[in-house]
Amino acid sequence: MMAATHLSADNNELLERISWSQIEANERRLQRRNFWVAFAFMSPAILLVTTFLLTPVVYNIFLSFTRWKKFKGLDEFAGTANYVKLVTNRLFADALYNTSLWVGASIIFPLVIGFGLAVFLRGVALERTFKSIIFLPRIFAPTAVGVIWFYVYAPDGVVNRFLSFFAGGEVDIGWLYQSDTVTPAIIATFVWQTVGLVMVLILLGLSAIPKDPLEAARIDGASSGQVFVRIILPLLLPTLLVVTILSVLAGFTVFDLLWIMGAANPELRTLSLAVFMYFEAFQKGSWAFGSSIAVVIGAVVLSVTWLQALLQHRVDKMIR
Amino acid sequence: MTVAIQDLDFEALAAKQQVVQKGVPVKFIFAIFISAIWLVPFYYLIISVFKTTEEYSVNHPLSLPSGITPVFGNAVVAWQQAKMGAGLLNSMLYGVVGAGLAVFFAALASYGLSRIDFRRKNFWFMLIFAGTVFPFQMYLIPLFFGYQKLGILNSQLGMLLIYTAICIPFPVLVLRNYMNGLSREMDEAARMDGAKEFSVFWHIILPNCRGPMTATFLLQFTWIWNDLLFSTVLGNRTEVRSIMNALQVFQGSYSSTGPNVVLTATIIASVPSVLLFFLLRRHFMEGMRVSSI
Repeated sequence: MMAATHLSADNNELLERISWSQIEANERRLQRRNFWVAFAFMSPAILLVTTFLLTPVVYNIFLSFTRWKKFKGLDEFAGTANYVKLVTNRLFADALYNTSLWVGASIIFPLVIGFGLAVFLRGVALERTFKSIIFLPRIFAPTAVGVIWFYVYAPDGVVNRFLSFFAGGEVDIGWLYQSDTVTPAIIATFVWQTVGLVMVLILLGLSAIPKDPLEAARIDGASSGQVFVRIILPLLLPTLLVVTILSVLAGFTVFDLLWIMGAANPELRTLSLAVFMYFEAFQKGSWAFGSSIAVVIGAVVLSVTWLQALLQHRVDKMIR
Repeated sequence: MTVAIQDLDFEALAAKQQVVQKGVPVKFIFAIFISAIWLVPFYYLIISVFKTTEEYSVNHPLSLPSGITPVFGNAVVAWQQAKMGAGLLNSMLYGVVGAGLAVFFAALASYGLSRIDFRRKNFWFMLIFAGTVFPFQMYLIPLFFGYQKLGILNSQLGMLLIYTAICIPFPVLVLRNYMNGLSREMDEAARMDGAKEFSVFWHIILPNCRGPMTATFLLQFTWIWNDLLFSTVLGNRTEVRSIMNALQVFQGSYSSTGPNVVLTATIIASVPSVLLFFLLRRHFMEGMRVSSI
């Protein structure tokens, strides 16, 4: 007791002698020192990302409001002229329509088939082998896949030979040469390549589901359909959300597969927004117009990402 | 819940069991059927490579080749006409150096973001992470102009710079999370002993991050190897072309060579990344798990 009071008296004396502003200054100095040390560590990443990624984005937005002034070599401010041109452009409407088709198909088909296969292949003999086979196309570059399927779809290629085998007569459809067959044909290739990844992601999601509620529901007499709808599906929602968003983003920015496989189609340039943008900017040299298409793609991608963050939050809350 | 033995219908249970056992072969056959559909394009790819151009054009696309020797002729023609040697070397350079530098810079940044205390950490993280938010289409036109002005359009340096930059943000996300999970005791102890920040990073943190660094490196390497867009826009000169761009140009050139030769080129272009996947499958799967969460 004695010792304690003695100590506290000592402490009080000590406290009076401490200058708080001194401590604060020290603290601030330490913070500042820490910041510069951390900044030194971050600087290569920050420098590269701002120079080669963020600055271009800003400049792209700026460009989309300009017009190339002939002979002067200067960018002239043009207001929203490029965007007005976009809205009234027939080709842009076509590209947007095809992109929507792409996005819709690239969500529905891989998800349904991937989900189906993930459930179906459970417990089948040689399960791992089958899964590896379905995943195999994913290991190849879209460019390589595009080249292979370009010849598979050729007028005298594998697809037509199959069809003529069943039809009994000669079939020589130019799948990639006609505007009404080229998009479905490329979508089929895309599905062939992506289903494996979607399947693996869904399997990862399924394996994370705790077994106890499933057992409990079964013991209480729930049918497997009820178990699926009431328990598995809600718990799988985060995975499904991620897969869906990835498909939407991929659908809006797809380039390689269309570029390779659509090369034979006269209307290649409207196959997707990304291809349309490439055509306008790098083949026609309409830089400002091309940059406005890029801004539209960016706006869509950003709103989808934002929507994902929103939904993710909701889903996380719901599960808890 | 209890079940009385006499309530159980053993005959029904046995019948159900039988259905289950009978169901397996049907499922199995269906699985084989699906796999066969999936494998047809690969089968077609492999047999075509062993055909001469004449053989290819005359026979059914799925017929077996008459010999295996034509593959050498095809490979030689593809190698020479598609400039595959240069393409492979360029892609190797972009992939190894680009992804390697990106993961190293990402590890540095993650160290700063996770092991050092300073204010407004989140701002700096978001600044770097913003590099994954925008679609590539928004980079292309400004980069093309900027590269032209700097004189690095169609140069290996230019390609390396954009590939490195674009591959930084994702590893930062992964490595920062990973480093946040590492115990702070080790580096605090080292700092007490007077170790400099960099040597804490180099000797203590980096060796502990080998797993996620390998996984992210492989993902980024494969992405660079497979990229066509940036190579087409910023590196479209024979000497700097990446392998996928070289393949694309070769396929589109309507040369006198047949599909068999182009398909041979496709295999040559795909072998490195496919081989890498099979050799390091575990790391790839880890990378995929990390990127989906």
